[in-house]
Amino acid sequence: MDSKSIIFLSAESLAAKVKSKEISPTEVVKAYLEQIELLNPQINAYITVMADEALAEARVAEQKLISGENKGALFGVPIGVKDQIHTKGIPTTSASKIKSNFVPISDATVVNKLKKSGGIILGKLNMTEFAMGDPITSAYGITHNPWDLDRSPGTSSTGSGAATASFMCATSLGEDTGGSIRGPAANCGLVGIRPTWGRVSRFGVDGASWSLDTIGPISRTVKDCALTLGSIAGHDLNDPRTSKLTVPDYVEKLTGEIKGIRIGLIKEFLDPDIMGLDHRLRQGILDSVDVLSDLGAVVEEISIPLSPYSGAASRTISAVERSSLHPEWLRNNLEELHPNTRIAFTAGELIPAQIYYKSQKLRTLIRKQTTEALKDFDILAMPVDSGPAQIMNLTPGVPSKESADRAIKNASYRGLFSLVSCPALSVCCGFADENGKKLPLGLQLAGRPFDEAKLLNVAYSYEQNTEWHTRKPPL
Amino acid sequence: MPELNDDEVISLAMAAGLKIPESELKDVRHTLNSMIEAIENINPENINDIEPLPIILPEEVNGNGQ
Repeated sequence: MDSKSIIFLSAESLAAKVKSKEISPTEVVKAYLEQIELLNPQINAYITVMADEALAEARVAEQKLISGENKGALFGVPIGVKDQIHTKGIPTTSASKIKSNFVPISDATVVNKLKKSGGIILGKLNMTEFAMGDPITSAYGITHNPWDLDRSPGTSSTGSGAATASFMCATSLGEDTGGSIRGPAANCGLVGIRPTWGRVSRFGVDGASWSLDTIGPISRTVKDCALTLGSIAGHDLNDPRTSKLTVPDYVEKLTGEIKGIRIGLIKEFLDPDIMGLDHRLRQGILDSVDVLSDLGAVVEEISIPLSPYSGAASRTISAVERSSLHPEWLRNNLEELHPNTRIAFTAGELIPAQIYYKSQKLRTLIRKQTTEALKDFDILAMPVDSGPAQIMNLTPGVPSKESADRAIKNASYRGLFSLVSCPALSVCCGFADENGKKLPLGLQLAGRPFDEAKLLNVAYSYEQNTEWHTRKPPL
Repeated sequence: MPELNDDEVISLAMAAGLKIPESELKDVRHTLNSMIEAIENINPENINDIEPLPIILPEEVNGNGQ
């Protein structure tokens, strides 16, 4: 099998072919390293490529094949991880100069679990500095969207989206505070799930915002996303906030059967006058719920009145929580931070206590309204963003209060389910034509807390009845 | 609450032990004013009586994912 054929396989097929000895782990790793050598210079998705380590792991995997130890769900699958996730002996920078020399002495729990599932860590993926702001904040250069190099790959897991979409890894891990998995998945035409808060361990992950952070996969298909999530989910003694609920076999539960599933379409996010929604994305969302309806789901429009204010609450809470993690950086490392990071950290420190406290009260109300809706509906649906990927703004700073207002409003699209702590995913629901370029559009689906299985199954049913996931970026 | 001006932002920063580079003062002011105004303008009924609990509560977990 040639290199291109290998990298175009799904993670699931790849693992099956490695286990059946149709292809060797070394062939797989070499194929991905070739693709990285070819495309990373223009995409800049990787901060660190672990070529030697990955090839060594591949050789170990070959020995396991000989001795019959090839049991893991991700056996022989090359995986990229966001560079705020600790990897033993490998720099973990959070895309900041401040942490450029930080080399963890142990793996994050999620990395440990990926390895136990047979996954091979291929490298550390670019991101925005400390998972904040836009792609220009990375100390390791801007990551580009494979569908249009001038556009944002989505933040903050920029490299996780771009590397997965451009076949520089088979699946990846991102981290989602206010939408950092779902945004890159939408902009890059992928599937990304933010799990329920507490479903996946945060041990060994450089935090952004303690009450909002979640670790989850960005993959090319729903099944690969389910496979990756199943490998990292579960209780962890090192993270006392992780749930002891049993982790289902997410792949086994992908039946595609959704007859009678109740889906609530949140009307506040479909009104272009309220939320500035792009008409092409609006049509994409309406078409996608028609597909789900044709498959037997019961779709109704619903209202969550406070949902358009989610961005204000989530931005305020995360700004305070982020800046409280390392107050010394603003005082001792000012020059090492990107200007946009300095601005955001400083604003986070200066927010009045009553504004922060009121944001937490709003969070409680927004969560109450949304969990009430989730008693009537199995799934909630809305767009991931107000439109397709935007041209990247290369100028640092906040040009006006109006631009800051727009950013807060737009943060509501993904901030809603971050505040609620329920699982939410992005799945590609079409493409918009923009000056001859095809830009992916993202449908956001959310489910009840800890019911990732049903959420993934609805996304799977949609994916299997559309062709969007089969398209490849023009590289 | 009226929008904070540059002098007020500088005073707040001094109280917090921070120095804001002059070139970034307006950016901090825009960001801060935007967040304060956004939160101040959201006033649902009984907001003052709400107990803020950041983490999801056991009774809110009614999924069947196990």
